[in-house]
Amino acid sequence: MKKAKKEPIKNGKIWIVLGLLFAMVNPWYFPESFGEILVYGVPLWAVIIIIASVLLSAFLSYVLKYHWMLEEEEEEAEKKGAK
Amino acid sequence: MELAFSGWSGIVILLVYGLIMLSVGVITFLRNRNIHQSLDEYYLGGRGLGVMVLFFTFFATQYSGNTVVGYPPSAYRLGYEYLVSVPFFIMIIMAYLLFAPRLYSLGKKYNLITPAQWFEKRFKSKGVTILASLLMLYGLGNYLLEQLVAIGQGVDGLTGGTVPYQVGVVFFVIIMLIYGWLGGMRSVAYTDTMQGIALLFGVFMLLIGSIIYFGGLPTSADYMQAYSPEKLGVPDGPGVVNWFSLLVLIGIGAAVYPHAIQRIFAAKDERTLKRSFSRMAWMPFLTAGVVFIIGIIGINAFPDLSTAESEQLVGMMASAVASQNVIFYWAMVLLFGGVIAAIVSTADSVLLTFSSIISNDLYGSYINPNASERKKLLVGKLVGVAAVGILILVAWFPPGTLYQIFVLKFEVLIQIAPALILGLYWNRLHTKAVFTGMLSGTIVASVMTIFGWSYLGVANGLWGLLINLIICVVGSLVMSVSVVEEEEAKQVIGL
Repeated sequence: MKKAKKEPIKNGKIWIVLGLLFAMVNPWYFPESFGEILVYGVPLWAVIIIIASVLLSAFLSYVLKYHWMLEEEEEEAEKKGAK
Repeated sequence: MELAFSGWSGIVILLVYGLIMLSVGVITFLRNRNIHQSLDEYYLGGRGLGVMVLFFTFFATQYSGNTVVGYPPSAYRLGYEYLVSVPFFIMIIMAYLLFAPRLYSLGKKYNLITPAQWFEKRFKSKGVTILASLLMLYGLGNYLLEQLVAIGQGVDGLTGGTVPYQVGVVFFVIIMLIYGWLGGMRSVAYTDTMQGIALLFGVFMLLIGSIIYFGGLPTSADYMQAYSPEKLGVPDGPGVVNWFSLLVLIGIGAAVYPHAIQRIFAAKDERTLKRSFSRMAWMPFLTAGVVFIIGIIGINAFPDLSTAESEQLVGMMASAVASQNVIFYWAMVLLFGGVIAAIVSTADSVLLTFSSIISNDLYGSYINPNASERKKLLVGKLVGVAAVGILILVAWFPPGTLYQIFVLKFEVLIQIAPALILGLYWNRLHTKAVFTGMLSGTIVASVMTIFGWSYLGVANGLWGLLINLIICVVGSLVMSVSVVEEEEAKQVIGL
């Protein structure tokens, strides 16, 4: 069965999530006290930025894998044809 | 820079690295003798790069020796505010999502070799293509210059001055020119892989050594709490603006690096490209994150360094770690060899793209369109060699800090972004608006930088980009594109 072509830029939901994650990797929303609380020597605000960065990377990997599908199917078919 | 492990061991490791690079070039040449007849084969490795090699060659475009040597001093001076270096590398992958999927498809459809060729295909305008080509050549030239300076300083440091700056630059430049000439993109990508692995290994050893020798983050945090609590604090207003502007500037800027765009065309297939990007999305933690921690540990290890002294931080830490035992000694030698190798790997990528724009877009499209591919290739290679020669002369007088020039090249290169990205999706984008926008953006960003103006703490490149974007959009809305042109554009960008 032929899967529909998918292009990340056309999927608004992806960009809403990316927008939220982008907002989270900027340090604008921390109270000053987050610089004083340390978690294993790392200030709390930095820990949150790191977690947000991990989420951003994870979401990007997910989008790359499942929401970008323009040529893959044809290329896979070509490969099989060539074998 | 005084390194405890500088001297003969440094010379040995540099010779070994040099020989490996050279052999890669020769083997590639012997295995692919036909690549010197075809731009596709030479500049894109025949569009056949697999996941691993493609990943490392993308890695080399984004992470250089400067990441290892230049970032820890920034972390040392700014403290946790410099944690921004982790998300800004992730932003590059987000920026790729804006254009890489379609650009890959179109690159395949039209056999595109360079980013400038895409501008020609899309806008069919000599003005836009030449302006974009010149901006890219200028940006790439600056970038290459920076790498050459860094090679010289690195060799000088690693060999304890036994090998002078000039000899170091010439040695590696000649090796780079030979393997680049022999194997094109294949050589460049294979050496990138070897260089990337050496760098990653060395950086991890330095991290482990630093933690053992100087204590980890908690020790450093105790020191900061006592003496410089601002380095732990939440960034203030201007700090947040700077953070935001770095994320946007570097995210978009590094994604539209001409040599990065070219690698999209070199992917074997879409799946390969996606997998490489997916790995790249995690690399910031392993590279920028690790060197950030090294810088933070340095705050406790070598307190109260002046700005100039702090630039030597990685050398000081590596020297201390190397004197612990023989394993760390050789690991640090490998690290510094790896740093130099990584700089060479960034330089070779830049040079290859530089030559390709000359071969394909300036010489091949406008000066002598009827030339054979072999001749176009030869002209590109020769101009590349000449450009390196000129840049070496400039490199004899290296500028002070590396960071300023780093921002400078971004400001110019980023101006191709609106035409590149909007052009992929919007068939009413007007050629004249694109040209005016690109030119105005460049002028604004360059003038602001040259005169040292800044506004609201946002990077100058971003102001240029904003003006560029507004002119592109408003200009296109005001001037109407003819029905024929719109239809043509639709044909070009349609999938």
